[in-house]
Amino acid sequence: MKTSENMNQLFNKLDELKILFGRGIKLIPIIQSLVDFMKEIVPFMDNITQSIAESNSKIPKATNQINKVTEATELATTEILDIVDMMSEHISNTAEMLNMIIDRDRKKSEILQKIKSAVPADKQIEKLIEEYEKLEKDKIALNTIGDSLQKIKNDAYNITMSLQVQDITSQQLSAVKHLIGSVQMRLISLNNNLNEASLENTELKLTGEHSFDANADYLKSGERQEMADSIISGHNSTSQKEIDKLFS
Amino acid sequence: MLKFLVVDDSVTMRRIVLNSLRNLGYNEFVEANDGREAIEKLSGDSQINFIITDWNMPVVSGLELVKAIRGSEKLSKLPILMVTTRGIKEDIMEALQAKVNNYIIKPFTPAVLKEKIEQILATN
Repeated sequence: MKTSENMNQLFNKLDELKILFGRGIKLIPIIQSLVDFMKEIVPFMDNITQSIAESNSKIPKATNQINKVTEATELATTEILDIVDMMSEHISNTAEMLNMIIDRDRKKSEILQKIKSAVPADKQIEKLIEEYEKLEKDKIALNTIGDSLQKIKNDAYNITMSLQVQDITSQQLSAVKHLIGSVQMRLISLNNNLNEASLENTELKLTGEHSFDANADYLKSGERQEMADSIISGHNSTSQKEIDKLFS
Repeated sequence: MLKFLVVDDSVTMRRIVLNSLRNLGYNEFVEANDGREAIEKLSGDSQINFIITDWNMPVVSGLELVKAIRGSEKLSKLPILMVTTRGIKEDIMEALQAKVNNYIIKPFTPAVLKEKIEQILATN
């Protein structure tokens, strides 16, 4: 009796196994296509990890280039500032000398007037004085030179003011550098997920502190300053509640 | 007699601010590269009576410097003019909340610098 029960159980199990084999046969093409897919995807994944590694290795070079650009522009700006400072100094010295000449001419005119009134009427002397007075008109030219010097000095000063662009662009470049750093961190993390081996050239570290303004812009319209002025002028009448609201 | 402390990590900007101050007739200056250096200069020079500072600087930022000065019993009354590229409303409000006396957005003009210094001096 027991043997017949066991045999029945065995036949049932064999039936189940038969069904399973039947299903397995149906699964074979699916498994085959999965294997084919894996065969295709493995080189593709290798390509991806290789691309990540290549991109990552290029990042330090890119940041290095940005640093070089920043350093070069700072150096060039300093040189321009030095030249403009020297120019301004020369202009100031020249203007000072010119003022001395103008002052001396004024004194000469005063002396001439005194001579004119002291010397008795003589046609030859009068003619000489007249010729001298004509030469005095050069004073107008001296004043024009003085005005031109002042204009050149103002222009030189304006060049100096325009060099603020160096600080603004260096902040923009720092922002780009930070962005590149973020991309590198992502690449490293992605690579670590795909591959057990860690990427090399990971010397670029992101700092928590941002010593740049990513929105720095060289705008000379004055609109932003006007906005700042209006906020500041209204600040006294702005309650702490209103300020807090901006930060909530 | 005004003695300025000009704080900016950009050598170019410090020179531009100093040139502008000279053009306005001021001749007493001290320079600092960042907020920490500024604090050191302030603690070693009691003659400094006007601060012009940038915001974005390494080590100690301009905003942290302002907060440190306002939190100091000895220095809290010093006038502070912030000169920065940060030009959005929230930044200006944050600087005001930290108690800067006035705010200039780069690039600035000499006229704006003169106006702000005079405004601060008039109210102090």
